[in-house]
Amino acid sequence: MFSVISLSVVLAIFSFVSVSFGEEKLGDKVYETILANGLKVILLEDHKAPVVTVQVWYRVGSRNEAWGKTGLSHLLEHMMFKGSKRFTAEQFVRIIEENGGKNNAFTSRDYTAYFVNISADRVAIPLELEADRMRNAIFDEKEFLTEKKVVLEERRLRTEDNPQSYLHEQVLATAYQVHPYHWPIIGWMEDLERLTLADAREYYNQYYSPANAFLIVAGDFSRQELLPKVEQAFGHLPATDAPHQSVGREPTQKGERRVVLKREGLVPALMMGYHVPNLKNPDSYVLDVIEAILSSGKSSRFYEHLIREKQVALRADVDHSLTSLDPSLFFISAEVLAGKDLLTLEKAIDDEIMRLQTEPVTPEELSKAKNQMEALFLYGQDSVFYQAMVLAQHEIAATWRRIDDYLPAIRRVTADDVMRVARHYLIPENRTVGLFSPITLQDNYHGPAKNLVKEKGHTR
Amino acid sequence: MKNSKLKSLYTYRWRICLIFILLVLPRLAFSLPFTERVTLQTGLRLIVSEDHSLPFVTFQLIIDGGSRIDPPNKEGLSYITAKGLLHGTTRNTAQHMNNTLDFLGANLSSSSSKDYISVALKVLKKDLVQGFNLFMDAITQPVFPEDEFRREIQRTLGAIKSVEEDPGGLSEREFLKTLFANSPYGHPVMGTGESLDRLTRNDMISFHNTYIRPNQAILVIVGDVSLNEIKKDLTGRLETWIAGEVSKVSYEQPPVSSAKTLTIDRAITQANIVLGNLGPPRNNPDFFPMVVMNYILGGGGFSSRLFTEIRAKRGFAYSVHSAFDFKKYTGSFSVNLQTKNDSAREAISIVLAEMKKIQTEPVTDMELEGARKYLTGSFPLRLDTQAKLASFLAQVEFYGLGDDHADKYVSHIKAVTKEDVQRVAKKYLNPGAYTLIVVGNLKEAGFRE
Repeated sequence: MFSVISLSVVLAIFSFVSVSFGEEKLGDKVYETILANGLKVILLEDHKAPVVTVQVWYRVGSRNEAWGKTGLSHLLEHMMFKGSKRFTAEQFVRIIEENGGKNNAFTSRDYTAYFVNISADRVAIPLELEADRMRNAIFDEKEFLTEKKVVLEERRLRTEDNPQSYLHEQVLATAYQVHPYHWPIIGWMEDLERLTLADAREYYNQYYSPANAFLIVAGDFSRQELLPKVEQAFGHLPATDAPHQSVGREPTQKGERRVVLKREGLVPALMMGYHVPNLKNPDSYVLDVIEAILSSGKSSRFYEHLIREKQVALRADVDHSLTSLDPSLFFISAEVLAGKDLLTLEKAIDDEIMRLQTEPVTPEELSKAKNQMEALFLYGQDSVFYQAMVLAQHEIAATWRRIDDYLPAIRRVTADDVMRVARHYLIPENRTVGLFSPITLQDNYHGPAKNLVKEKGHTR
Repeated sequence: MKNSKLKSLYTYRWRICLIFILLVLPRLAFSLPFTERVTLQTGLRLIVSEDHSLPFVTFQLIIDGGSRIDPPNKEGLSYITAKGLLHGTTRNTAQHMNNTLDFLGANLSSSSSKDYISVALKVLKKDLVQGFNLFMDAITQPVFPEDEFRREIQRTLGAIKSVEEDPGGLSEREFLKTLFANSPYGHPVMGTGESLDRLTRNDMISFHNTYIRPNQAILVIVGDVSLNEIKKDLTGRLETWIAGEVSKVSYEQPPVSSAKTLTIDRAITQANIVLGNLGPPRNNPDFFPMVVMNYILGGGGFSSRLFTEIRAKRGFAYSVHSAFDFKKYTGSFSVNLQTKNDSAREAISIVLAEMKKIQTEPVTDMELEGARKYLTGSFPLRLDTQAKLASFLAQVEFYGLGDDHADKYVSHIKAVTKEDVQRVAKKYLNPGAYTLIVVGNLKEAGFRE
């Protein structure tokens, strides 16, 4: 349970988005209804394997938090596994696991999502459990304090002891000054320590309700049989008003910003984040094509030039999300290959950006990028979990129906579009550059020695 | 008001009932998708599972030639050879091959593990033959250009640095090195800075000549293709892959476990802890009781004893789990967790106490039943994509688990008793003489004065 989906994970997943291959649209297979209490229900039947994924997505993430209360969405996600009026934490987990289900949850900047993947014949079980904790979660002080410790450990693991995550956080905090994408999903250490049980309860009451959530089920079920079960589980929950979702707008960036991280490490790394729009602006699809041109496959420009030819990078990737609710960053990240330096790597990346802006992409290269994107679309349909996730991300950003725009929008992209969009967004004035410049790491090895631990007698 | 209260009470009870009914309903027997198995004249074992729901095909080839058989001082050779398969062939340069694959939207990858080399291809149905030919070229006709080889060595050195920068990755690497000492599973699959320095292109050519042979290999094909199509379009090419005599590489057992502790001092906030001992090979009669025992101890999602004691009760760690890593010859058992430095010693003593407890006291009925139900009920989720099914079929064949492994899985798990659990805990956990790795701030963790 309880993972923070980092920016890169959400974006990486997105690049496998899937729509039907050929001309059949994925959206045609999706059924939507809204219960009387305002809960939207999205169903995708897929009988490929005898499994289903049941997911409840709440329209709340770190973007909804306040200054000084960062990390609250994610900490609340943890609390959702700590029991309800009907089920204790142990019962909840036991019911799912005894039915062979795998369950977890993830929090992003825009949403908090809970899922159970389970044999198709058990589909009613997660419906019951999810409906229950939408309104009936209990908040116990002792559990809260323990779970806060778990989250602090999670932050130490993912961020404090990981230079690249740490830098990623610094780049976002520099690129966003007003908008809440400024802070990390997991929250600042200082804020986490100060969060209270009352904060979590109030946040839950504000954001966890049928009108601020949707249910998505994908897999091996029949809609006629499932809908009464959904109604049975969720229909009795009281209707509430949806909370407001407006947040501060980030002012236009005027001039490049740079941030340098100095700490122990071995692999220098570089990140560049350019402010870009989401799928409500057609340029977003062009940026997706640019992402593929730069970094998809071993014939991509980054792999071919930075990794293979110039040998300046150990790794070079692009992350770009169509489905960020508010404008996000077109994010380049790369690691320096031993023996080379950050300056050379940055120059090599700048050369690739400049080439996009000055030289039209050839028809072959453009077709190749589109073919890759279409194939990834199709491969993604192998997993019902993944299909549900992609539909849900579109629903968060606009509506799941936008999934059917994906292939046509990609196919429409021209070489001129690529050049125009690269010139418009991928400019120094619009970016934040982050550099990890490691201080030599000096490990001191001790041992192996016999019984070292035993001799010191670390008993409880 | 009264009415509504009654009504809600009614629904409440009804729902409890529903869950109860679903818990006791007889399980639908799950059966593996239909598979066909053929051994070609060349010795290649071919396993096919048709699934025509989506128009693409997944190939998974595994070759008995993992890092276990790296020659002394040439650690990393299996890995570099696996990578070298994609460096160009008699027909195509690496660049041309990469470009063609990307144009088809196909994925071709190669890697090595301790036991085997694997090569995987995912390709759209319409490009099946073209993709398959590139796949076969890579396996049978690589040319291993010197310049690509040099680049791969540089990238691997870089990847080793990334592992070393990551305290979790470093602790796991050092655990296997310490536990397996100088035996064949001890060294990292990627080799070391020193061993990579010694590798030459000729080493790769010779490794390829010796081990990349159909009689060493298992090919699984899953997806939108029929056995007839395979016979018509692919078998001819498969048969041109020539068998070769491969002399058996002797396996040297690692030294019997004695307590060893390795600590690595680093200025970080958490102690990264790996603790464990040697284990039996994959194909052993205690496999099912071991899986059940480990699920209860620390393998099982959010209900295991280690999860409960270390995370849920004390908030000491975000991630804590135990696992058996089964291999062809000798496996290992390990517990892996990260906790703030000053909780390190207490967390370790809880782990040891739980290992002892499962050896000395029978597990509860509820724990046993929970483990059995989860392990049998979640089986379909382990096979619900082409890649998962292909990998499962390849492993069953590689480790010689028998064609009926999947069919019997459920009954084997259900047959495990409390006595079995306790017996295998005693036999395969060693809380008295374990290998322990700690990467962290040793002073704060109480490992240094």
